Amino acid sequence: MSSIVVVGIGPEGSGSHAADVAAGYATALGATMILVFGYEPSSLGPRGGPFEDQIEEIADEVTKDVRSALSAAHPDLAITVELVRDRPVESLIRVAEARSAQVIVVGHGGSGPFRAALLGSTTYELVHRSTIPVLVVPDPKAPDSDD
Amino acid sequence: MAVAQSDPEMASKGLKGGSLGLVAVTVIAIASTAPGYSLAAGIGGIAGHVGVHSPFIMIFAFIPMACIAAAFFYMNKADPDCGTNFTWGVRAFGPSFGWLSGWACIIADLVIMPNLAGISGQYLVLLFDEKASNNIYLTTFIGILFIGAMCWVCWKGIELSARSQVVLLGTEIIVLTIFAVVAFTKSFGSGISKNGGVLTGDDATAAQSSYPACSAVTKSTQSCFNTVQDGVQVVYHSVKPSLSWMSWSGVSSKDLLAGLVLAVFIYWGWDTAVSVNEESTDANRTPGIAAVLSTFLLLGIYLVTAYGSVSLLGPGFTADNSADALGALGAVALPTILYKLLIIAVLTSASASCQTTILPATRTMLSMGVHKAVPDKLAEVDAKHLTPAFSTWVFGFVSVLWYLLLVVVSHNTSTDLYSSSIGAVGMAIALYYGFTGISCIWYYRRWLTKSTKNLVFIGVLPLLGGIVLVYTFFATIRDNVGTDGDHALLFTGTGLLIAGIPFMIWCRLKYPTFFTYRPDPPDTVPDPGGPSGVIAAELGTYTQGARK
Repeated sequence: MSSIVVVGIGPEGSGSHAADVAAGYATALGATMILVFGYEPSSLGPRGGPFEDQIEEIADEVTKDVRSALSAAHPDLAITVELVRDRPVESLIRVAEARSAQVIVVGHGGSGPFRAALLGSTTYELVHRSTIPVLVVPDPKAPDSDD
Repeated sequence: MAVAQSDPEMASKGLKGGSLGLVAVTVIAIASTAPGYSLAAGIGGIAGHVGVHSPFIMIFAFIPMACIAAAFFYMNKADPDCGTNFTWGVRAFGPSFGWLSGWACIIADLVIMPNLAGISGQYLVLLFDEKASNNIYLTTFIGILFIGAMCWVCWKGIELSARSQVVLLGTEIIVLTIFAVVAFTKSFGSGISKNGGVLTGDDATAAQSSYPACSAVTKSTQSCFNTVQDGVQVVYHSVKPSLSWMSWSGVSSKDLLAGLVLAVFIYWGWDTAVSVNEESTDANRTPGIAAVLSTFLLLGIYLVTAYGSVSLLGPGFTADNSADALGALGAVALPTILYKLLIIAVLTSASASCQTTILPATRTMLSMGVHKAVPDKLAEVDAKHLTPAFSTWVFGFVSVLWYLLLVVVSHNTSTDLYSSSIGAVGMAIALYYGFTGISCIWYYRRWLTKSTKNLVFIGVLPLLGGIVLVYTFFATIRDNVGTDGDHALLFTGTGLLIAGIPFMIWCRLKYPTFFTYRPDPPDTVPDPGGPSGVIAAELGTYTQGARK
């Protein structure tokens, strides 16, 4: 059974740099790569219906773009996509555990500790909660890309 | 829990996600209700209408709201659409009814914005300088900034982490409880008293008619008035709490109704949080337990704070300070540090409430846009933040306009449009909740007689809640049309609702397709007791001519 590398992708292709780095490792390992897009509308109002459909369309588009860019650069790499309706951290952990992944790869856009404590940061939380090794890839071009 | 489809082509609705625990569901339900802010905004008006019977109104108003929660739950089961009563209204009674129902929901959210902004501005200033809190320019400026900031938060999709929410809500509940207990204890024994400011003109006449003269009062346990050099000064005094406050004896039906309209508002938010967000770790049990838990917590908080608020210096003090009742009471009852904490609790509660006002409103707008009932620009979702961007800013902009209108009119005339907004929002809530209750019964009409459970939860409860609320709406209009009625309330409570009718006609001309939709045929309605996930056919499946 081939190894699995799970990569987190966010809106507007955030995390695509991490995916690019991960693709290099995955190719070297002969691993399959799973792109995970986790999304969940705020529970402070009714969700469901057209709102989630539209978010899903966006997720679909983003992951397709990232996937085709990766496939072009790494033609031998097997890539699958999973869209999960849950918070990004939960989504990554769940997919990684369900597929017995070797590593979770995420980008880090530079949210500081204060902001992370108050609002939560996917990367911070993931590093603390995951039972699977986490690889954090700093994003070179956008030190504050979470704004 | 199953992981979503691997193939993006196949990934469609019904992706299972969201694993909210018991604490999270309870916290969301209470935070959505925003007890601190609701009390700050509502208790003064309630005390003004029903006096010491405020605790009774607190409990009484919960009944129709709980009944409508059942309607929300079952309608959400058939059609979990973020447009809630808009789509449900279409399914039950057709496009015009649904459109107006959605409009009423957006208007309820819009009408409360000035009050949210005003309270936030006022309490924020109160935190630093008590005198400046009466400076209308300062508080209005802060209020507008507050609306802008909250729209920005909603647009960015920023949400506090679960832990921060628990900390904030915990503080809010603890401070409110301390306030209530202290206020309650202080009113026993000989109680306390406090001199009010000097009143002149109409206010002085009003004080003279509602309180006895101090010289005529032999026991010093009653609020009374002294005639002073340039007017009238009221001496407020504690009232010893009594169990009889939980009854309605002695309250006129008109005051009862006026109190009910205000009190409906304090539970607003609880019902949607417990009925629409049903997914959780154990979908069969958690929501039920969370609903019961949050109910007891809320009723408990409201009951004790109502007791504390009307007993501390009598209901007159609370009513006379209705603009910042909780602040004024807190200043009397609590030491400085706790008083500041109370103010902070009201502020955090107001921002939570603002989020739970903006989000449902913009999602209703989004749903109406997607179904082409309004301009579809309103349905745009921001690709970066995954939120309805355009709707959010439109809502924020119109809120600021409405806020300014109320401030300007109130400041320059003798009508106080501004403080009537709680009653006005109560009217709009009563209308669209009533519509939801009635929609539920009619939509499920074929299923009502299939079991006793159906009859009770889909029939009797929504009918009871619906009738009480729709009646409250129309009776409030009836009670206020006369020359001695509250015309400010009438204007704010119905003005924007009526403005929806020409707008709907415009949409009807511009988007005729939506208005050819027909209500769902009763034989297509899914079993309300069936497994979750079995939902009604997409909106627009049944149109004029497509199926009779």
